[in-house]
Amino acid sequence: MGPLIINDIISQNTNFFLAFLIGIGFGFILESSGFSSSRKLAGVFYGYDTVVLKVFFTAAIVAMLGLLFMSLFNWIDLDMVYINPTYLWSTIIGGAIMGAGFITGGFCPGTSFCAASIGKIDALFFIGGMFIGIVIFAEAYPLLEPLYKGSFKGTPTLPQALGFKDGVVVLGIIVVALGMFWVGEWAEKKFPREEY
Amino acid sequence: MSESNKPNKKSRYINPYLGGVLLGLVLIAANFVSGRGLGASGAAKSVIVATVNTVTPQHAENAQFYSEYNASHPEGPMKAWLVFQMLGVIVGAFLSGAIFNRLKFKVEHSPKITSRRRIIFAVLGGILFGFGSQLGRGCTSGSALSGMGVLSLGGFISMAFIFGTAFALAWFFRKNWI
Amino acid sequence: MKPRIFLALIIVPLGLILAAVPANTTHPYKLSPEDLLEYVNSGMQYFSPDEVAHMLVNKDPSLMLIDVRSEDEYDKFHLPGAINIPLASMLEDQWKDYLNQDLRYNVFYSNGTVNSNQAWMLTRQLGYENNYVLQGGLNYWVETIMNPTAPPATSPDEEIAKYDFRKGASQALGGGAVVESSSQSAPDLPKIAPRPKKKRVEGGC
Repeated sequence: MGPLIINDIISQNTNFFLAFLIGIGFGFILESSGFSSSRKLAGVFYGYDTVVLKVFFTAAIVAMLGLLFMSLFNWIDLDMVYINPTYLWSTIIGGAIMGAGFITGGFCPGTSFCAASIGKIDALFFIGGMFIGIVIFAEAYPLLEPLYKGSFKGTPTLPQALGFKDGVVVLGIIVVALGMFWVGEWAEKKFPREEY
Repeated sequence: MSESNKPNKKSRYINPYLGGVLLGLVLIAANFVSGRGLGASGAAKSVIVATVNTVTPQHAENAQFYSEYNASHPEGPMKAWLVFQMLGVIVGAFLSGAIFNRLKFKVEHSPKITSRRRIIFAVLGGILFGFGSQLGRGCTSGSALSGMGVLSLGGFISMAFIFGTAFALAWFFRKNWI
Repeated sequence: MKPRIFLALIIVPLGLILAAVPANTTHPYKLSPEDLLEYVNSGMQYFSPDEVAHMLVNKDPSLMLIDVRSEDEYDKFHLPGAINIPLASMLEDQWKDYLNQDLRYNVFYSNGTVNSNQAWMLTRQLGYENNYVLQGGLNYWVETIMNPTAPPATSPDEEIAKYDFRKGASQALGGGAVVESSSQSAPDLPKIAPRPKKKRVEGGC
């Protein structure tokens, strides 16, 4: 049955409209969980606020469980769902640069839009910086193209790469995540910060 | 149930675990409806390409980055799933801010640094993130979160390197946050 | 009860269930007989020679030509970049990774279309996707791409464009002499139904 757009159950325009609705949900949840505050976001790196850890991993696990169960009941065809292709080096280097950007700016693109929409001025400047960064990439594109398009490994999934079944990997991730939540709670008690 | 935040702070944020569950449901919905996950940096890319198209169409044709994007988006760069999703994000965040009374123009920064310093670092962070997200084909929402949701290896690698690098560099930036 | 304990109590059992259930056996990888008939009637498994020529000329890395004839015939002549998997030995282990993959389009070809279609049906029912058949086979390929006949000057523009392309392709691919305009070019192949382009959703961010 799913994904709906693939099986032509909905039209492209409905798809865009639903994208808008899904975005509303996304933005609402991000903001109400506190992702519109750069100090809360950066808190995970210093231990005083691990909201990023909790929300991120809970969301990923719920999504994994949900999609795999839906696939078991044949409600969605997981082969048709987009899986990020793996371009090894561009992901690694891009990820490192993004990590630096995260600790410097305290936002990521999605959260910066959330924060900007509730009036955070530093988020607006972050978005401005993002545009500049994209233009820099665009201008340097001919030089970066080999890195950008190189080391294409197809679209492997983690279970495929590790050689385990999907369910086993998900269980492993659940265990790791729960461990991290417990550590997170401990860290928050140990490194408290005042109101922000 | 006060384990979500500091004990004596009137926390107007929802419980993070609840937030995580809801976000996971939204992610499932996105995959079910449109066969893809969420995202953010792609929308910024669309905006840039659309701007360049209008301001300097010549350059858009010559520079490979823009021409490739335009070729794969025959109906215009702004008619993309991510753009509509981002519009929704802005609306949703605004609604949440309105409901929880957080709408306020301010520069949020640690009391130990100045606003100006915060803004400079925000711009720098933005530049790095803009560049990195294009190179890494996604940001934390699109690649890491959505990628992990479908168990993509690329998503996990992206996640590991973003957070790993940030942790590694955290000590150097501690003055800005703590 | 603390939220995190509550959450753990729910996701751990769900995870255990998923880990225990046998992997995805509900996914139908074989086409039902009705689907198969519909497929072959509409010719969705075909790649037209023009398409293949395009990809060869552009050095498209997503194309993988597979010659299903015997080794001798392969050695005598094969299409550029093609590998040889004789039909008789197609089920051998050594070819599994070539036949069952999702990086490229595998296009089977033989002299005509019988053997290549057999190869296609065999692999399709094994559940392997991304396998296709060169429409018309080598015979048609040589007639149209390698030795394109110039259409009479009164033909519609697209005929002439097609001819020009084929001429260029044949030279790029080491083709034979160009046969001058005769009043009939090789019969056009039946139009293939548009291949359900693996509706790859565009994603990423």
